[in-house]
Amino acid sequence: MALQLRSAWVRPAGGPRRRASLHASPGPSAPAVPAAAELWAAVHLTGPDPGEKLQRLALRAQAFTPRVSLEPPDGLLLEVQGSLQLFAGVTGLRAAVTQQCRRLGTAVVLAFAPTSLAALTLARAGRALAVTEPAQLIGRLAPLPLATLRWPDEILGRLARMGVRTIGAALRLPRAGFARRFGVAQLAVLDKLTGRAPDPRAAHRPRERFRHRCAFTCELESHAAILAALAPAFAALGSFLEARQCGIVELECLLAHRHAPPTSCVLRLAAPAADVERLAQLLAEPLSALTLPEPVRGCQLRSSVPVPYAPDRESLWQPGEHGGGLTSEACGLIERLRARLGPDAIHGLALLEGHRPEQAWGATDPPAAAGRGSAATGRTGSRAAAHRPLWLLPVPLSLSVRDGLPRRRGSGLRLSGEPERIESGWWDGGEIARDYYTATDLHGVRLWVFRERAAPHGWYLHGVFG
Amino acid sequence: MDGDPKLARLLEHPAIWRGRSAARLPVLPSGFAALDEQLPGCGWPRTGLIEILTARFGSGELRLLLPALASLTRAATARWCVWVTPPLMPFAPALVSGGIRLDRVAVVGGARALWAFEQVLGSGACDAALAWARRPRPREIRRLQLAAERGRTLGVLFRPLSAAREASPAVLRLGLTALATGVRVTLLKGRGATRGTIELAWPESRSARSGS
Repeated sequence: MALQLRSAWVRPAGGPRRRASLHASPGPSAPAVPAAAELWAAVHLTGPDPGEKLQRLALRAQAFTPRVSLEPPDGLLLEVQGSLQLFAGVTGLRAAVTQQCRRLGTAVVLAFAPTSLAALTLARAGRALAVTEPAQLIGRLAPLPLATLRWPDEILGRLARMGVRTIGAALRLPRAGFARRFGVAQLAVLDKLTGRAPDPRAAHRPRERFRHRCAFTCELESHAAILAALAPAFAALGSFLEARQCGIVELECLLAHRHAPPTSCVLRLAAPAADVERLAQLLAEPLSALTLPEPVRGCQLRSSVPVPYAPDRESLWQPGEHGGGLTSEACGLIERLRARLGPDAIHGLALLEGHRPEQAWGATDPPAAAGRGSAATGRTGSRAAAHRPLWLLPVPLSLSVRDGLPRRRGSGLRLSGEPERIESGWWDGGEIARDYYTATDLHGVRLWVFRERAAPHGWYLHGVFG
Repeated sequence: MDGDPKLARLLEHPAIWRGRSAARLPVLPSGFAALDEQLPGCGWPRTGLIEILTARFGSGELRLLLPALASLTRAATARWCVWVTPPLMPFAPALVSGGIRLDRVAVVGGARALWAFEQVLGSGACDAALAWARRPRPREIRRLQLAAERGRTLGVLFRPLSAAREASPAVLRLGLTALATGVRVTLLKGRGATRGTIELAWPESRSARSGS
């Protein structure tokens, strides 16, 4: 419904067509007034910390026109020509926009002008004017100080030394000389200001999220019943994603109770997904693990920001056969494991540039999430470690000692080979100084043990050769 | 007998089943010539569940598998090699020096080892999966075996040697005992394999070569 409403807005405003006509007539020889009549409203936020309020205001401004563009950090531009008669002219529109700003609790200056930059300059100068006639524009702009254009201080300083302090004075300077002395960019700004050059602006597209709230007709306790009651919400999610050709990577389900605060159930995916049936199956895993404090009266389904999603091509080959279809299989596996065992259920391994055994490896994202790259092939062979055990203990295990030799489970260890000295880490506080030996225990299991070089020269077990 | 071409052609008839026909299944060379001779089809099976029973953790079971795992991860169309709930963390530098490509390795942690192992085996995303279990029930092992066939995965289940007396639906069972410079491998079960015990010596030259 919201989508249809939005497209109905776009068409009468005729945004793309008008922009195309602007592009068609560039150059300095263009007439002094834009070919198609535009009226821009500029909102200048004067309160402290405008950044976050600007985003929220941009969202609300979509109610007035589909052509909203941001001018960070404190400016917002609305093209309102097509909206004037809906909001009872400039006066009515000003009242409506001001009311929205007041609700946000922010102080603004609102100005109207035929070009976007002129409206913005008026608003920044604190002049809440409404210039609707292009002929009046230059006359209204002329007394404004040049500083409102936010040019670099160095250029403003040079202009001020020449006695040019207002926009009117700058406009009176010869064009060629102005461009030579102050830069073409500054001249282009003046042209956009007066409407001599077109000033196309990118429309602000607010980020959409899926939200669907539904109240159950009776209070539900069983997980299967809750999941069945979520079916309409999943159907809505499916059509939402289909309309936008998007997938989601995170889905949150909030279960509302009569007294207790709502229970949250979050599903995170390894890759964007748009298949609603699969999402429902995956959500069933964390949902069935929840302990509900009370029966559920209603639920809300919320998605993360949708991301563009290209559905998988069905492969001719079986998964794994000739490398076909591996990614989807692997992603499915990651998601199933994470849904039941938690987000840390699966990880990959990576080599790190560390000489200390504890810091020679690290956990990474699982291989599929990191992409099926073969870029790491060059590295793997480069650092063939000298003699390392296949298993490493997370923390070295202290061994008992008799006659200076380590013992394990009541029997002495037989040391073999030359010791390997690892001395490192003095720069970050994790200093180690150890002599590593290969040891064999009574049962023939080969172990990696070390002796601390510092007193009291303790023996520790650090790995198993396996 | 096998030298006769007419007889050989006759024996290829699909209706004829011979005890050693397991040899027709695709296999993976183990990297140890003496072991290959002993194994059915001269190598590890590419698909199915095998059990390796060890008296002690670290008796050489991983080193026995390492050449096969390395060749699996280095293949052009390699899938994953997943370690399900290993008792310690596999040490990445040693895996790399053993020839394994780390970007094909994933480690699954968490409490439910057998459930995770079944998911991994049946997913079709893995070439090999290793898991450690203390006392799985025969029904669970049967499920694992079916999942491994479904996902065309080599599943390796490590169990204590005391489980050798129990029956198991695994396609291959080996018992391992550590020796001073090698390992003693006892073939407990295998389709079309001859039971017996062999002693393997570790190739010490390899570590010396990579170290130089």
